[in-house]
Amino acid sequence: MSSVSHFAATSRRIVMLLWLGWVAWLPLPATAHDVAGALNAVGSDTMAELMLRWGEQFEEQRPGVRLQLQVAGSASAPPALIAGTTLLGPMSRPMQDDEKAAFAARHGYAVTPVVVGKDALVVVVNRHNPLERLNRQQLDAIFSDTLACGAEESIDHWQQLGLDDPQGSIHLYGRNAVSGTHGLFRRRALCDGEFKVSVTVSAGSAAVVAAVGDDPRGIGYVGLNHLNADVREVAIADGQRDVRPERQALRDGDYPLVRDLLIYVNRPPETPLPEVERAFLDMVLSPSGQRVVKELGFVALSPSALMAQRRALGLPALAREER
Amino acid sequence: MSDPTSTNPLYRSRQRRDRLATLLITAGGIGVLLTVIAIAVFLLVEVVPLFWPGADGMSLSALWSAPGTSGEAEFRWLPHRLEEGVVAQASLAPLLWGTLEAAIWALIVAIPLALGAAAHSSLYMTPGLRARMKPTLELMEAMPSVVLGFIAGLVLGPWVERHLAEAVSVVLLLPLAMITLALGHRRLPVPVQRYLSLNSAALWLLPCLLLLVLAAVQLAPLWESWWFAGDLREWVEQRWGLDVQARNAMIVGLAMGFAVIPGIYALAEDALSDVPRNLAEGAQAMGATRWQTLTRVMLPIALPGIFSAIMIGAGRAVGETMIVLMASGNSALMTATPLDGLRSLASSIAIELPEAAPGGTHYRLLLLAALALFLFTFLMNTLAELVRARLRQRFRRSRGDT
Repeated sequence: MSSVSHFAATSRRIVMLLWLGWVAWLPLPATAHDVAGALNAVGSDTMAELMLRWGEQFEEQRPGVRLQLQVAGSASAPPALIAGTTLLGPMSRPMQDDEKAAFAARHGYAVTPVVVGKDALVVVVNRHNPLERLNRQQLDAIFSDTLACGAEESIDHWQQLGLDDPQGSIHLYGRNAVSGTHGLFRRRALCDGEFKVSVTVSAGSAAVVAAVGDDPRGIGYVGLNHLNADVREVAIADGQRDVRPERQALRDGDYPLVRDLLIYVNRPPETPLPEVERAFLDMVLSPSGQRVVKELGFVALSPSALMAQRRALGLPALAREER
Repeated sequence: MSDPTSTNPLYRSRQRRDRLATLLITAGGIGVLLTVIAIAVFLLVEVVPLFWPGADGMSLSALWSAPGTSGEAEFRWLPHRLEEGVVAQASLAPLLWGTLEAAIWALIVAIPLALGAAAHSSLYMTPGLRARMKPTLELMEAMPSVVLGFIAGLVLGPWVERHLAEAVSVVLLLPLAMITLALGHRRLPVPVQRYLSLNSAALWLLPCLLLLVLAAVQLAPLWESWWFAGDLREWVEQRWGLDVQARNAMIVGLAMGFAVIPGIYALAEDALSDVPRNLAEGAQAMGATRWQTLTRVMLPIALPGIFSAIMIGAGRAVGETMIVLMASGNSALMTATPLDGLRSLASSIAIELPEAAPGGTHYRLLLLAALALFLFTFLMNTLAELVRARLRQRFRRSRGDT
């Protein structure tokens, strides 16, 4: 055991030396409060482009800082956070309980979730398909054979939805079973049920859009940022009201198929964040950071949610004109 | 000074170089062998914990169990259930079924075409044409399977789905037209027959076939409106309850068939060409037609070689990943309908392994699938190689006799 800790101490010393060498090599910061160094992040590939754009923006603001991003999927963030190789773990799904427990066991405090934006799933049909809306039961009856949301019978033909233009059977398109998109849709739209076996499975959301755009009988689900002109989004009916995945409905939480985009932060309680990470999150949770979220087709946080996140991290409140 | 060459410095350096080359080649060979064994051992080591009693609650029978989610017994591949601790619903059976189905359809497409081409080029073609044709066909093997998969999944599949009648009409008309052409060829006047000789059939037949395909496509709407009320797809659905998916087993079979053809063709052609010339010439000297020579003399002798060619093709079809991944729809169905999608072991590994947590049950299950694929292709190739070696030995002996 002692040899292990000795090894850990040695390796930590080596890392420290390397870090010192790295810092010494960097050009001197121009002004006193500029931060220099490398910013590490390990995690979600859904958020890869988002993180990269934030990284670019951050590097413009603070010359000399470099974002080092590893995107191997959300599942790669918890191990890296637990091992302490990164302080920031972007994830497109919330951490599971066992992942949280493992973090707490290793570090002695809970991991801090920071919601940095939202992603919505939309149900899409071919652009020639006149379908306007589906209610939750219909959606479940189309995609699942477990009918966990309370539908009476499975829907396999377009006629069952009262349409006569796309005739015949419904062709289902979806994502592979281990993707976050698949998991979210299964939990929220199928009420934790199971997909029909006949779903055509694609490895990426763009492929789903392409397939539905090509198939007049097709229906599929994709992330909001993947929509194009070949497909139409379908409103989810909630009682008498149609809910479309529009900004307001997403922000208010009316639209059912929404997930948070998070950055998990390794932050000991009562200690301020290291300067670089703090500055990065400050930028992410600022109007300019949220503009990037919008530009990439995700949904930005509402001003009040933004304030709440900033307060939780101990960041200064935004000036009124900045909001 | 008993042996003058051994003291010659030039000879000695040449000998040293020779020894070095032998050493390097041996090392390379052993290296390859060790790598193959290491891969097998790695897979085994990763897979074995699956079957430790109590560890993951997995047993061999659980892989084949079929507790349906909706009452009736049904094999389902639900890997996300593994993360929730439910092992019973991740059955490898649909994946295995999909793999075999895809391979069988590919072979159904490839075997007649490849063997026909091999027989034609070894027996009918002029040597000059053959010398150019064979490398061209073998060049097809260099076509990346991603490209084939892309064409099949994103161009051909959706086209067939929309133009089912045209596709069916091409598939039905082409063989019929070939037979009619062959029968008609014999009735042609002799000078024309000589001009359009069978030896160079590949050259003049190709434009004819292209025209035929065009005609078949043009005629399709006509007979579709005569017999199927203008919509074959609707008719098929009403009559047989079959639904045409854009990505289905037929499309996979077609694309993978094309991927497999060059391999089968090359080996089968070699096997036919290796049949001692004197046998075929003897048969023809005694009045046998070329068809009789082929079926009675050459095929029986070359049969083991052709068999091994087919086995190599089957091995390739089972392990092929990209084509199945892109053209099959990846729905883990267990139906024999060629118009439904399927999901193979290889494409499941490609899609799911990057996102499976290393060391988890899902990860180990996928590696079990990889091990199964590895063993299957290894077995196929070894068997094919053994058969070929036997065949070669027999030829050598028969040449020695004559």
